[in-house]
Amino acid sequence: MADDQPPKRPQQQGADAGWAALGYLLSGMIVWGGAGWLIDKWLGLPNVGLLIGLIGGGAAGVYLIIKRLDG
Amino acid sequence: MITQPGFLASEFPPGVESFDYKSLIPSLDGTTWGPAFTKLTLLVWLAVAIVIIFFLVTYRNPTLVPNKKQWLAESVYGVVRNNIATDIIGPQGVRFAPYLATIFVFVFVTNLWSIVPFAQISPNSHLAFPAVLAVLTWLLYIGLGVKKHGFLGYLKHSTVQPGVPWWVHPILVPIEFISNLILRPITLSVRLFANMFAGHMILLVFTLGGVALWNSGPLLLKPAALGSWAFAIVMTLFELFILSLQAYVFTLLSATYFQSSISEEH
Repeated sequence: MADDQPPKRPQQQGADAGWAALGYLLSGMIVWGGAGWLIDKWLGLPNVGLLIGLIGGGAAGVYLIIKRLDG
Repeated sequence: MITQPGFLASEFPPGVESFDYKSLIPSLDGTTWGPAFTKLTLLVWLAVAIVIIFFLVTYRNPTLVPNKKQWLAESVYGVVRNNIATDIIGPQGVRFAPYLATIFVFVFVTNLWSIVPFAQISPNSHLAFPAVLAVLTWLLYIGLGVKKHGFLGYLKHSTVQPGVPWWVHPILVPIEFISNLILRPITLSVRLFANMFAGHMILLVFTLGGVALWNSGPLLLKPAALGSWAFAIVMTLFELFILSLQAYVFTLLSATYFQSSISEEH
């Protein structure tokens, strides 16, 4: 158990990886969807920024999950 | 509390107000200090007292061959120390074992109130109680990171993902910042709160629903009431599983957060 661990960081626990993935997806959409929404408010656009922000933020979240949890 | 079925059936369906309790000191009811001493806070104090007395008594005269109570206390602490602290954080995780074990036992006992007869509500089904625990973990998590890496170093450590083209960083850093430094205590507390809230709600629905069916008149509905009560018992057992799991998950995630704060690299 504790003694035969590799010296490097032990592998991500399954539960933790799941919650981390959820957190990245959520915060990606919150941050960039929110930024897009603010730009919409500022320029008076019909939710274009919100849409782009949600999709782009979701994509960035997926990218982060791959980068961080696949290593 | 269940005293008179006719009275309870009028409360069906249960709502958010089923979680509110009157002050145990009648003169304080309705004032600002009303919520300060209710059934929920009484249960928290009781849980604290039970945990302290249990560990004091079991560790007072430790014997080499442990008796039953000592074995229970030692195995609870041992599981948290070996299977959570050292397995996730590594050899230096032992120094977090007391904190993690305290969190685990406290969350477990306060969760357990949700299925103890006559208590039958967990303080953790109010967001305030898990929130305080999550803030404790969060402060320790941030503090450990700042102590290990310095303030700016820790900010970089927890928000900048290595091996990413430079022009992607502006997109990713805000996400990492929100996810790692702001959202974590929120998800930690909401997860525990929502599970205990939903568990209490399910038990209320099946128990009070049974009463409502029984009192509703038609003879045909009486067996349905019995079925509803039988399912309430099944859900109580399920609740026992959920409450232990949530106590474990809360401790496990606290440990993973500490690990990510004191790790050298990502």
